[in-house]
Amino acid sequence: MLSFLEVAKRAETGPMSTADDFSMQRVAMNASALEKKYGLKYDPKVRVSCDDDLADRAWQAGRELILQCGLYSINSRRLILFDEQEVDETLAAATAEFTAGEGLDAAHVYRRNVEDPRPPVIFGGPFNADVHENMFVKLNEAFAGEPLIDLLLLPGYLKNLDGVDIRPNSGLSTRAAMLYGRWAREAISRAGRPGLPIVGHAVMSLNEIACTSEEWGLRRCDPRAFAIISELEVDDVTLTRLAYYHAIGCPIYISSTPLIGGYGGGPGGTAIVGVAAHIASVMLGSHVMHLGPQHIKYKQQTNAMSLWMGSVVKQAVARNSKMINTTSVTTSGRPGSMQYIYEFSALALSVVTSGSNLTGPRPAEPLGWNNVSPLMCRLFAEVGHAAAKVSRQDANRIADALWEKYKDKIELKDAPVGLPFEQMYDVKTLRPNAEHWALYEQGRKELKELGVPL
Amino acid sequence: MSERDEIIERMRESIKNADDDAAEAAATAALAAGIDPLFALEEGFAKPIRELGEAFDRMEIFLPELVLGARTLQAGLKILEPAILAGGSTAAHKGVVVIGTVEGDIHDIGKTIVVAMLRSSGYEVHDLGTDVPTPQILTVAEQVKADIIGLSALLSTTMLRQRDAIEYMRLKGVRDKYYVIVGGAPVTEAWAREIGADAFGRDATGAVKALEARRRLQPVLSTTEGAAHA
Repeated sequence: MLSFLEVAKRAETGPMSTADDFSMQRVAMNASALEKKYGLKYDPKVRVSCDDDLADRAWQAGRELILQCGLYSINSRRLILFDEQEVDETLAAATAEFTAGEGLDAAHVYRRNVEDPRPPVIFGGPFNADVHENMFVKLNEAFAGEPLIDLLLLPGYLKNLDGVDIRPNSGLSTRAAMLYGRWAREAISRAGRPGLPIVGHAVMSLNEIACTSEEWGLRRCDPRAFAIISELEVDDVTLTRLAYYHAIGCPIYISSTPLIGGYGGGPGGTAIVGVAAHIASVMLGSHVMHLGPQHIKYKQQTNAMSLWMGSVVKQAVARNSKMINTTSVTTSGRPGSMQYIYEFSALALSVVTSGSNLTGPRPAEPLGWNNVSPLMCRLFAEVGHAAAKVSRQDANRIADALWEKYKDKIELKDAPVGLPFEQMYDVKTLRPNAEHWALYEQGRKELKELGVPL
Repeated sequence: MSERDEIIERMRESIKNADDDAAEAAATAALAAGIDPLFALEEGFAKPIRELGEAFDRMEIFLPELVLGARTLQAGLKILEPAILAGGSTAAHKGVVVIGTVEGDIHDIGKTIVVAMLRSSGYEVHDLGTDVPTPQILTVAEQVKADIIGLSALLSTTMLRQRDAIEYMRLKGVRDKYYVIVGGAPVTEAWAREIGADAFGRDATGAVKALEARRRLQPVLSTTEGAAHA
């Protein structure tokens, strides 16, 4: 099994490469060759794959790709390469379950199988949307008050404090990181769930670690979030944060957003990159592997190709490893619209039946301030729990019916703009207003009519 | 098929096959055969590269093919460019662009697509990579006599650096020397207008359209497109 120390050493001693050569010669060429070798063909009629053999071929291809590519360390311009034995040993030692948070509010985080009847673990919260400082605690309190949320996800970027925009790496961003930790803890306490785990990534720079404090900030029991940069790249900030958070014993949550249409090519090749990114995350010592099935043109994750790719990658990982995995959901439609419900339900059905836990939902960029809804996260979680009761075939049928409802408004410019939190909620009582509640009820009704066992 | 048509066809094929050597050979043959280099550039390289860009926009091809096609164009253009300039044209390009992802942001792919599409559309592009300090952008822009500066940012936190870059250009007294276009996932037209950019590209195609509008002297921040999600 490879240690993180060894990974960090390889970032300093591995073979040198240009970024361009890594992306084109290693990732693009190998993904293309593996796509042909393993016959990973996208079927535009399928929203949720039911093909176990396809999933297993995607796994084999992804495993080969990570052995061919390794990871690229952007700052040192070196390759972090792994051999077969290291990959297999590290995968064998991957964490299959753990506990995050503390006390009665602790969450049991576990891996799921394809068509696993156990409910998915719900990572729900602002998902690092831009959040105003005066709404930060209220918004997170409302999310933490949703009982189906198992871990409060990414409490939101504080982009501006005291009227001043925050520059990464500045003194103000250190203050933002500390307030992020302090206010997130205050929010879960106010919600009556003081032990609720918080998945944190406070600011986009190294001073992010200033959010940490057992007394007032994010704790050791709170997972920390990281991102592999598309495709298969890491930077010094990520490696440094990993070194720190590994050392103090935090659970590690690593996301990857392989881009359909990018260096992986189409959905088949990008599925291979997605599997490789999951394995790479395990090699970095991650406990939870997050997939964002992103599309280079649509810039979101509920288009037809992403639905298919999400299902294939999740099944590949669930069938062939014991890693804990989850899938993020970013949409074209915004909270406050029916389209938002259709979109997050389609991807939730696709990936939960494929062995994934759930992360999100959130509208895709560009999004406005506080542009997320705890009530919509409740419905998302309910759909996720219901999806654990259906087969992939049924999920495919329902997801297809949902896709038909939003496919003509998948372009961001055509999608509903939606509303910020403060226009969907009474911010004094932290209850949804009548209009938002009616939307939730209407969404539930339509989903039930489509066969979602809510 | 005439010799001219045969050479032009070889040039087109070199782009389709992303064959740099074939592009250089065909461009050399075009000059040797006395074909007008501007005609050769347009018919042999520009048309198929535009088709490639359109195919990418329709997702019929993907980023690697687009990047390779743009590289092949560069290989062929190196052969044609001296002859184009010697023929009296002021430039073989529509414009000289210096582009980079702003300081503090290490995301590359979106910018890479823009670079490929701009090169495919006839612009000379100097890609400075990611996490690029504004002074470096200005130094290179001065060196290569750029007329356009592109600033990319993927994150809502780093897009603030686009504003800072424009402010720094004003401080140095060079803001009006360059046409500044901004882009990236969180960037909207409203943001571009707020920070004093000249244009914004929702995506690579949008960036090309904005620069083409500039060539026609059309204002590109006059529509409301892109402001919907601000």
